[in-house]
Amino acid sequence: MTGVPAGVLTEDEALDLLAYLVTSARTQVDEAAEYGPLRLLTAARRLGEAIAARSSDATAEFVAGPLTALPELAVPQAGRAEYVARLDGVCRDLAALLTDRFAS
Amino acid sequence: MTGAPADADNPVLAAIRTRRVVRSMGDRRVSRADLETVLDAGRWAPSAGNRHLQRFVATDHPGTLRVLRMVSPGMIARPAAVIVICTDWALAADFGFRPDVPGPWIDVGTAAATLMLAAHAIGVGAGPVTSFSKAAVATTLRLPDGLQPDMIICLGYPAPGGPAPVRRGRRVTWQDLTVFVP
Repeated sequence: MTGVPAGVLTEDEALDLLAYLVTSARTQVDEAAEYGPLRLLTAARRLGEAIAARSSDATAEFVAGPLTALPELAVPQAGRAEYVARLDGVCRDLAALLTDRFAS
Repeated sequence: MTGAPADADNPVLAAIRTRRVVRSMGDRRVSRADLETVLDAGRWAPSAGNRHLQRFVATDHPGTLRVLRMVSPGMIARPAAVIVICTDWALAADFGFRPDVPGPWIDVGTAAATLMLAAHAIGVGAGPVTSFSKAAVATTLRLPDGLQPDMIICLGYPAPGGPAPVRRGRRVTWQDLTVFVP
């Protein structure tokens, strides 16, 4: 398509993520609730991996660092307090990235 | 239990104890001969009433594998091949199983355990996936009506990396899981 700025995702990469999100919605109906945040974080991690090479340095740094702070298979049941604290840390780092980009 | 088990040389028990779920697989393909060896083992899995309600759908087609991974949130590895364990519910109905009973699914588990042990025995890594859209997988594999995909066994050679296994405190022992009764 002409006249459209180059994005950070290719169509194939976007389809990959779209399929993951749609099918996760279906599987989550039948699965343990603790899988909910795991699936969302996996989607975020995959999105981060896909966009990192075509993103700003700050975004690339975030997706390679704080976004991967939680182990990929971590679930709240294995240690809820620590899990929440680490997730809160990721949220803080994300907010700092967003603030620098949009509100400073 | 302390030290090495007395039956440490038993190859079957050794295989059971050393098998691990492989979540990171490399590009090396699994040969058709190895795939058939694993499938042959699946034929010997315990099956309630010797009914054999399960069917195995295997593929090593890169495009099909890619789509299967896209519609399977629980598929972390990028397998070189998969075996999809399906239940033939039309055949189950012939035996008198209603579609809401769990019996036939138990044989999905015995088949999965057998397939993964067989893969391990010939040096191929394996990992089960149950988190997938059954509707999407059935469409992708062009399954006939009545054949339901219940579990995907990923096959491939272990590669470095991949997520650490889920740890829920200390290692579980058989004593943790067992109660002797009179």
